[in-house]
Amino acid sequence: MSAFAKQRLSRRIGEGVFLTFCWLATGVALLALTAIMWSLISQGVGGFLKPDGGGLDLAIFTKSTPAPGSEGGLLNAILGSLMMCALAMLGAVVVGVLAGTWLSEFARDSRYGKVVRFLNDVLLSAPSILVGLFVYEILVAPLKGFSGLAGSVALGLIAAPVITRTTEDVLRLQPTALREASVALGAPVWRTILAVIWKSAQGGMLTGALLAFARISGETAPLLFTALNNQFLSLDMTKPTANLPVVIFNYALSAYDDWRRLAWAGALLIAATVLTVTIVARLIAREPRRS
Amino acid sequence: MTSATPAPLAADAPRSARGTGLDRAFEAICFGAATFLLVALGGLIVSLAVGGWPAFAHFGLGFLTSAEWDPVQEIYGAAGAVAGTLITASLALLFALPLALGVAIFLVELCPAPLRRPIGTAVELLAGIPSIVYGMWGLFVFAPWFAKHIQVPLMMSAKPGTIWEAITTGVPNGSGILSASLILAIMILPFMAATLRELFLTIPPQVRESAYGLGSTTFEVIRKVSLPYVRTGAIGAVMLGLGRALGETMAVTFIIGNAHGFPNSLFASGSTIASTIANEFAEATGVLHTSSLIALGLVLFIITFTVLALARVLIGRQANL
Amino acid sequence: MNAQTDTQPETAVLDLPPETVKLAIRDLNFFYGAKQSLFDVNVSFAANAVTALIGPSGCGKSTLLRTLNRMYSLYPGQRATGEVLLDGEDILGPRVNVAALRARIGMVFQKPTPFPMSIFDNVAYGVRLYEKMSKPDLANRVEESLRRAALWDEVKDKLKESGLGLSGGQQQRLCVARGIAVKPEILLLDEPASALDPISTARLEETIAALKSEYTVVIVTHNMGQAARLSDHTGFMYLGKLVEFGETEQLFTNPVTTRARDYITGRFG
Repeated sequence: MSAFAKQRLSRRIGEGVFLTFCWLATGVALLALTAIMWSLISQGVGGFLKPDGGGLDLAIFTKSTPAPGSEGGLLNAILGSLMMCALAMLGAVVVGVLAGTWLSEFARDSRYGKVVRFLNDVLLSAPSILVGLFVYEILVAPLKGFSGLAGSVALGLIAAPVITRTTEDVLRLQPTALREASVALGAPVWRTILAVIWKSAQGGMLTGALLAFARISGETAPLLFTALNNQFLSLDMTKPTANLPVVIFNYALSAYDDWRRLAWAGALLIAATVLTVTIVARLIAREPRRS
Repeated sequence: MTSATPAPLAADAPRSARGTGLDRAFEAICFGAATFLLVALGGLIVSLAVGGWPAFAHFGLGFLTSAEWDPVQEIYGAAGAVAGTLITASLALLFALPLALGVAIFLVELCPAPLRRPIGTAVELLAGIPSIVYGMWGLFVFAPWFAKHIQVPLMMSAKPGTIWEAITTGVPNGSGILSASLILAIMILPFMAATLRELFLTIPPQVRESAYGLGSTTFEVIRKVSLPYVRTGAIGAVMLGLGRALGETMAVTFIIGNAHGFPNSLFASGSTIASTIANEFAEATGVLHTSSLIALGLVLFIITFTVLALARVLIGRQANL
Repeated sequence: MNAQTDTQPETAVLDLPPETVKLAIRDLNFFYGAKQSLFDVNVSFAANAVTALIGPSGCGKSTLLRTLNRMYSLYPGQRATGEVLLDGEDILGPRVNVAALRARIGMVFQKPTPFPMSIFDNVAYGVRLYEKMSKPDLANRVEESLRRAALWDEVKDKLKESGLGLSGGQQQRLCVARGIAVKPEILLLDEPASALDPISTARLEETIAALKSEYTVVIVTHNMGQAARLSDHTGFMYLGKLVEFGETEQLFTNPVTTRARDYITGRFG
């Protein structure tokens, strides 16, 4: 075989191995997704059915977490999670939208703007458990008590940088001419931003908020020592508050089959919520402007 | 002409909109929100430093070098958890990086067009699944399978007295350092694949097409054109993946086995900083225990901050990701 | 090409009779940071007339337009020196309320910039900023503005629909309607037809010609035919300087400066 033919052969072999690897890698990733979804559904769906296997059982939505051996559901945890996420989003949207607006509309390339942008990115990627520690230090320890409010603050601190980032990104995409057109009519800057720029960017901003919501709705680590948990149904957010992730964590590691069943059902619930919200967010982001 | 007198266009002019004052107020409110984020991060660092101070004061440098962690004796050393964190995150990166590259290249270069969006979306969805789900799946589904099909055969194949035997000892229940690394790898894989794909898409088509036009194979185009083109950004993406693996809590806590001290084999139980805090913090009694856990948190923050800062510097140069 | 001959002046700027002047620009210099982009511009624009600014791209004609409503004040680092007198008052001064100024000087941009709101709200946006009006009055004002902009017949049945749904030409006329709804004294048009097809351009030109009776119009254009058709006076700019300014007919048929003649006869630019 000539040197040239040898080289050609080795090139073709290299190409073949490489392409095969890429196909395999994608296969592995998809296999993992399938395996996880399959486990979630096969293990989790039992929680939504009657124990004898016949018919829907809505106990999961109507009853609170049970004592070992007795019947129960996840009502208190679902409610607690909803309350905490709602409160967290409320705060995070206000802070995030305003901070993102400042970065995009006022700070631009100033030095302070760069510092805030960088540190927001640090906060965005900081391990969530550290946010939990921080909130424990500033709220739980001084007030001598775990509470749903502390949990909300922790979740809000995780959501706010996400919203800040996406808000800045979508606002920067708005054409300069749109700002100038409003200003040219004699509109003050604040009015221009509120009535024109935010309005124009609302789809992207909503996507950012939904992605932030998806992120915090499954967060467990920061709640372990802020909201803690609560066996009972309660609307009092100044006390320890039940929430899905911590209930799942506790029940999954317990020795009782009933509890594990509830843990899987809760995991399915959270995963379904997160995936739905993520897909909705992507659809909104993809939707072309109204025509 | 009356240009010498104060212009009627001044702030008190009749047609004046409710303008400048509110403009300043609005900017100030936005500025306040941005500063709030800054203060939050500053507060986080300060609170970790203050909370961890008693531990540093009590143990000195020994806190970082000792691997002994004994709540009963009130002796705390971070080295075991730090080692567990670094080992699991590095192994996870080792497994995930080639796969993530493969997936990204598949999506950009090989995937049949009708499948591109569904597969891309699936990969992104995988990135959104909460980590506690990965943890449960790891503990209840992955670990038993892993024990039966990987761990036990490997342990059986090891000849007594070899290094191979040493690094494969452990309880054959599927949990431990290697399992945790693999779960972490599955967790960061979709994130890294999605980021790498975005990077590859920033390459101008002409650049790749001209390489193909010279008769290059896909492998050669990727290796000699695409990868060098996105190099710094790709390193940044890898660092971001590493950052996630370092700070990940729930997925690891379920499956690492939660034992203190240095892990001595791939299958040994171990702990990471995050898993130790998650397991012990709510039940910690005594100032020293709490403080040591917070000090661990500070160490984790410093490690992840370093990695993230490097990632941002590198990615910032490449593209706005 | 440097055919500068001794007999022809380097610049030639026509002085308008003072009583016809709406805007007077005196010794205007403009800077983007350290880079100067307008040099000692001295010129006057007549009331109730259309003034066109022409010249090759980058000559400063858009910059000149953007100083007239202080649009540059949005950007730190951009500054102007000299005077721009609107009815004799300097609008470049520090105490000027720029928002109020901009309400007196409307502007239409190169690309249509409809706001993400209904057609009605687009036109009413500027009016609501400065005037408290009853609903019927506001509706009348919107209709009147849309009629002036020659858009009313096309949109009267869909005022509640989004302005983003109109065609490019309709969007641009919507922006004209929005600009005149606040009853400005001056209308600045920055290459308003450059993104439009020929038919839309023709309609827009009719609209502009009709506006002349009530407004002082300044239009920047790269289309010399448009300048010739629409304007009473034309200024030719080159490299940040106003080279020649005069009656449109005179400037197009018998330019005084070599540069203007070369440009108009197509030798450069």
